[in-house]
Amino acid sequence: MSPEMTAAEIRRIQTGIKEKYDRVAAEGAGCCFQYPTGREGLERQGYSPAILRDFPEKILAAFCGVGNPFSLGPLYPGEAVLDIGCGAGVDSLIAAHLVGEGGRVVGIDVTPAMLEKARINLARLRWPQASFREGEAEALPFPDAEFDAVISNGVFNLTVNKAKALQEAHRVLKPGGRLMLADMILMAALPPDRQDQVANWYQ
Amino acid sequence: MLTAGFHRAALRSYTGFKSSPYTEGALFYGERLVDAKVLDAIVSQARNLTETLIEAACEPGGA
Repeated sequence: MSPEMTAAEIRRIQTGIKEKYDRVAAEGAGCCFQYPTGREGLERQGYSPAILRDFPEKILAAFCGVGNPFSLGPLYPGEAVLDIGCGAGVDSLIAAHLVGEGGRVVGIDVTPAMLEKARINLARLRWPQASFREGEAEALPFPDAEFDAVISNGVFNLTVNKAKALQEAHRVLKPGGRLMLADMILMAALPPDRQDQVANWYQ
Repeated sequence: MLTAGFHRAALRSYTGFKSSPYTEGALFYGERLVDAKVLDAIVSQARNLTETLIEAACEPGGA
């Protein structure tokens, strides 16, 4: 967290993010991102065609990730996986497919409307190994060493306290556990008129 | 990531997805270090297994 950021600014960021994702939940992934979403986004990021073939189009249409965390390494049958900022649950459900019924996947998100979408998507598949609950990256509602892998897709850039979010991801991983993270990063200095704008966080 | 305790932390690649002219998607990987005692046990077991295989190979009829 920037030491110059006030409590009021943090509240504005969190409210802005929540309003954006309320809109995504209501209007669909195509409404609010400058990169491909849905099936096109998944295909452009190299998600396995064999996996995509097994998923209903309504689930795939909800994808709005910025990359493919599964390209960073395998998930194994029977593993426990946490998806931080699961949104409509596309990556969580792909992880559930990979770990199978002997595994466990928990998706967390701060936006109730997106969690509702995730639960609707889960109901389409009826996979007992997946579940969704409310929770934030900076205060994960899990004990230490709970998961074999933590995945996340386009979420850490939205957290105000990134150091704390990474510490939490580390805490809930078992020894030898893996963090597989896709996220948006700053590649060039912002022009002076865009620096320090709170709205940068959620536009 | 290193500060948070991650081992083998790395930015692996960029994804090509941009949310603005100044940002791009990227893929990061990190591991929570295996507990030192567990790691020692794994190394010890691997060493014993290697020695057993070498001894077996050196016996008459060994590969």
